[in-house]
Amino acid sequence: MDSKQVLKTSSTYTPEAIAAIQERAELGRYMIRGYGALRNVPRFDDLVFLTTSLTRLPLEGYREKCTTKTFIGTRHAKRPMELKIPITVAGMSFGALSYNAKVALGRAATLLGTSTTTGDGGMLPAEREASSKLVYQCLPSRYGFNPTDLKKADAIEIVVGQGAKPGGGGLLLGQKVNKVVAGMRTLPEGVDQRSPCRHPDWIGPDDLKIKIEELREATDWEIPIYVKMGATRVKDDVKLAVKAGADAIVLDGMEGGTAATQSIFQEHAGIPTLPALVQAVEALQEIGVYGEVQLIISGGIRSGPDVAKALALGADAVSLGTATLIAMGCNKPVYIEDYHKLGTEPYHCHHCHTGMCPVGITTQDAELMQRLPIDEATTYVANYLQSLVMEVQSLARACGKSDVHNLEREDLVALTLEASAMAKLPLAGTDFIVGQ
Amino acid sequence: MHQTVPQQTLIDCANLTTREINQKLKALASESIPTKLLNPAGRHNLAVGITQIAISIAGPVGYYCGGLSDNINIEVFGDCGWSVGENLMSGNITIHGNASANAAASAHGGKICILGNAGSRAGISLKGATLIVTGNVGYSSAFMMQQGCMIVCGNAGANLADSIYEGTIFVGGEINSLGADAKLEPMSDADWQFLEHELAALNISAKDYNFKKVICAKQLYHFKAKDWANY
Repeated sequence: MDSKQVLKTSSTYTPEAIAAIQERAELGRYMIRGYGALRNVPRFDDLVFLTTSLTRLPLEGYREKCTTKTFIGTRHAKRPMELKIPITVAGMSFGALSYNAKVALGRAATLLGTSTTTGDGGMLPAEREASSKLVYQCLPSRYGFNPTDLKKADAIEIVVGQGAKPGGGGLLLGQKVNKVVAGMRTLPEGVDQRSPCRHPDWIGPDDLKIKIEELREATDWEIPIYVKMGATRVKDDVKLAVKAGADAIVLDGMEGGTAATQSIFQEHAGIPTLPALVQAVEALQEIGVYGEVQLIISGGIRSGPDVAKALALGADAVSLGTATLIAMGCNKPVYIEDYHKLGTEPYHCHHCHTGMCPVGITTQDAELMQRLPIDEATTYVANYLQSLVMEVQSLARACGKSDVHNLEREDLVALTLEASAMAKLPLAGTDFIVGQ
Repeated sequence: MHQTVPQQTLIDCANLTTREINQKLKALASESIPTKLLNPAGRHNLAVGITQIAISIAGPVGYYCGGLSDNINIEVFGDCGWSVGENLMSGNITIHGNASANAAASAHGGKICILGNAGSRAGISLKGATLIVTGNVGYSSAFMMQQGCMIVCGNAGANLADSIYEGTIFVGGEINSLGADAKLEPMSDADWQFLEHELAALNISAKDYNFKKVICAKQLYHFKAKDWANY
């Protein structure tokens, strides 16, 4: 008698786990890759808005104004950052990204009246020219960091860590360190460039306070100073950054992306953006600086609802990295044969570290970069940012708000137990908050 | 018409804020007037982000003295705190005393002379400047150095030149240990001539020291699992 054969997959040794073991067996080391966490975590999708009906009244969606103006860095700076929208472009280096990608990001941000951010490679002159508001990152590597560019910046972002790799440094593989990239970073051409995990000239928050004063003195207290951190021990870290003198906190959850780091960091270090945001707001409230020190949240934010929920939970603005690259064409189903050469498919590509980006974004190869025309990429990113703003305004109006910053926690409920516990919001249809 | 040019401006730091001192220095820099700071009292962030000025400082200074500066000439008659000359682009900083940790951190250009000892991580992430220490340097000095030169007349602590990319380190005394990917290389005649030239201005003869040369072994330029034991 024929028995029916049923194939079963082990829940421990899944196809992914088997592939990972066999890849390690071949490489003899951990895996390095780009992009962000692949695993599923509680996120903004697990929240929904309680819009208006009778207890509150909505605003007319296609008529009434809903303002989006946003100020960052009002604590100490003579010239705080004034943005037209509460969405900024996150720091991504020239080196990790191509010249065309950096310039397009700058131009798109300018069109929307918002800021873009430099990255590990220093300030690319064309990026400065393209960006009406440019945040200059002070990273542990200090590649390309100099007082001349510092004085051209509209804000300074001291990078302590990144959501994709909190506590760890990056690794820009040698194939992306071409002559121009190496020159900007004072490195030999073609070597693997290690991004250090800590700053060379300060160690703890007491030192950071003096470092911040140095940067303020060098820029005559004109521009704001942000401190960017990967989300781990959020409450303590935020409080220490505020004590050190930060004008704004940039907090990057574990869904944040990277050009290249160890896969174990992306999947097993840090906490998701949703609970990180909630804890950061609580930390600012506990020390009485909520509203005085602005909070920018980042890490896997992709849509208008994500942005609106972040604002409702207490963020002043959000920052987008990977999503802007996807808007340009990252993972687009074109040049299929080149995805195959990398051993991947469109929608599944996280090979930014190889420098062989099929769509010309995370590459320094001149031929590949030509696949990303600057004008076209600028339009795509600008359109994408514009659509996010329209979505945020729509949700805000539906909640009865004439300013997107008036969205509040009361406008949200959670759909899952995990999201309820992490966001400290009631489960939908109940008054029950998990853990409280 | 005869114009009187002041020879030197005196600034007494005792009753001024750091902001006020630096504002005065920036104003004087635009007029190229040499300046002397009195009573610095170990204050942090003196003369940062400044260009084209000669300053002498009568007493000890704190963190980041001369940091983020370009085309400057600073002499400190006293000890200095962390990260003196941090990210210096060009010019000279001379410390007539000891330096704390991270002297010349990530300095791109110019010359920083410590006429005494320097603490740990001296020359960390050095990017092209020259750091001269006439005494000893602490552990992890020249860590992740990228370019430039460090000359130490005395001894060097543990893990000297760990993870350097490029650049050259000369040590006149003993080296406790070398860090990952650092190696000794024989001194050449050109090296001795270079040291004689660099140290002559400090009235030091290189030949009075047993200089050794440390450079990058370049074995870890590319991440390979087989190199694991070297980290």
